[in-house]
Amino acid sequence: MSEAEAAAETAARPSLATVGLSKAFGGVTALDSATVTFHHGKVNALIGPNGSGKTTFFNCVTGMIRPDAGRTTYRGRDITRKPPHRIARAGIGRSFQLCRVFPRMTVLDNLLAAVQPSSLAGQLARAGRREETERARGWLSRMGIEHLERAEARQLSWGQQKLLELAGVLMSEPELILLDEPAGGVNPALINRICDLVRELNAEGRTFLIVEHNMDLVMSLSDHVVVFDRGRPIAEGPPSVIQSDERVLGAYLGV
Amino acid sequence: MRKGSELPLRAGRLRTSTLLHVGALLAGVAVALSFPSMAPSPYEITVGIAILNYAVLSTSWNFVGGFTGYISLGHGAFAGLGAYGTGLLVTKAELPPFAALFVAAALVAALAVPVGYAALRVRGASFVIVSIALVLILLLVFQSWASFTGGSRGLVVPRPFPGMLRSEHHRTFYFLFAALLGVALLTWWIIDRSRFGMGLKAIREDEDKAQSLGTPIFAYKLVVFVVSATFTSLAGGLYALWFGDLDPVFQFSILSGAYMVLMALLGGVRHLYGPLLGALIVGYALEYSKVEYGDTPLHLVVAGLLLGVVVMFMPDGVIPAATALLARFRTSGETSIREVTAAELKERHGQGNGTDESEVRNSERSGSGG
Repeated sequence: MSEAEAAAETAARPSLATVGLSKAFGGVTALDSATVTFHHGKVNALIGPNGSGKTTFFNCVTGMIRPDAGRTTYRGRDITRKPPHRIARAGIGRSFQLCRVFPRMTVLDNLLAAVQPSSLAGQLARAGRREETERARGWLSRMGIEHLERAEARQLSWGQQKLLELAGVLMSEPELILLDEPAGGVNPALINRICDLVRELNAEGRTFLIVEHNMDLVMSLSDHVVVFDRGRPIAEGPPSVIQSDERVLGAYLGV
Repeated sequence: MRKGSELPLRAGRLRTSTLLHVGALLAGVAVALSFPSMAPSPYEITVGIAILNYAVLSTSWNFVGGFTGYISLGHGAFAGLGAYGTGLLVTKAELPPFAALFVAAALVAALAVPVGYAALRVRGASFVIVSIALVLILLLVFQSWASFTGGSRGLVVPRPFPGMLRSEHHRTFYFLFAALLGVALLTWWIIDRSRFGMGLKAIREDEDKAQSLGTPIFAYKLVVFVVSATFTSLAGGLYALWFGDLDPVFQFSILSGAYMVLMALLGGVRHLYGPLLGALIVGYALEYSKVEYGDTPLHLVVAGLLLGVVVMFMPDGVIPAATALLARFRTSGETSIREVTAAELKERHGQGNGTDESEVRNSERSGSGG
């Protein structure tokens, strides 16, 4: 009983949560008073048809765009109008839809650029101190791209760039990682690899929120799924429930 | 170089390349410092001063342009303000000349805060346009406020060393400009290798992504903008003390800002010595065309042609283009035919097997990596 209760308690611990989050671009409503809670320590997924507001949701909660109304909290702290770098330093890392790396920096520098010193002396200190470099190499070898550390990021293949982007996000030591379509344009072998990495990193205590169109990946990987349609959640629950939810089938899965 | 230091295998090569760098640096400094004594007449020294002045201006511009990728065409404003600030502080406030130089730079730095605050909110082409606005506003102000600035009649700045002969005056200012260039280059170098510099370069690459990794992009851009404006102002102020006569048309011209950009692009904005090299080439070309063709706009044609050549053939500048060329020669040297001893052959085979294995591993990985 105590175990079940503990499990329920963990499941209920909020990570990222929004209340009434709204955003309109001109006349187009991208987020329509979205109230949603993601769970700490879990792999959460956010799915929905194109244009349902998933990426706008990411951009609003990470501070990249300002919501028109509503509040965002992360582990109970209000982060609604904080600038993106503050939100990043609070422990939220993100990848971008279609993958973004620093193209004309080396692979290693892509990771070193994620090191954020807090003091003035730290800012002026030389980049790439030994311990930083070692930590960066650790992430690169975990992604399996450590042999490319001196290559310019733009020379890497699409899949390698995806791994590099993830390594860069991890270098900034986030607790919550938002991944925008991690499997987009990626071959099946690499999709498996990314899934394994997410599971490992989750087991090490990191929370995930994943936007993804690959339903096999979503259903096999996530503990909790939220379905968006027209800028607001229409269903949420464990994958098994979502797969048989009629509203979801109608809005998204198109069966 | 930095990355090499962690690889023991490359340590030997690193030491040679460091020695080469230090040697080249010392040789460059020696040539620059002995130039005034070798110059046949004071005229050559004035050309040297003009080029050094361009080099300081362009290096100062490169704090913003090179690190963050924000192309400012309006840096002439800070040079002009430094010049007029120094001149007016000497003539109206009767400050000692070199105190005036630094007070003017401090004032320009303070002004650069609100200017940068407004201008750095927009990116790309919009920033270029906004940066021009300041120059045009200042030109109008300094031309029409003649009672204070002297207007188009000009502002005469008294010489800082009244008893000095003209040639000695030039020689002194040559070294002052060289010292200022040294400080500007040193500052650029320190930022370049720092975490602050890494953040600035991340901004140049992808501002949104840099921000999402925790870089306070606005603060970073503003700080480096102020540093850039301050050095630009010092160059302008030193020019005022050297030249002794200021005219708003030349001080607040878009052309002077455009020269800074041209020089930095020509040499290579990602490189410490890029703007200096660009200043040598453009500065010499401008002086040459002025001497050869007199007071015609032909020097502008020359500058335009140089810009065209850079944009079409060396978009990254001379230094990266030359480095790439050198690298090509170096590889062809390694593959040249020469006699090989058995021991070398054996060694090479040993290494060859090693790289083969790692290549296989790499290709497997990149295979799974898409």
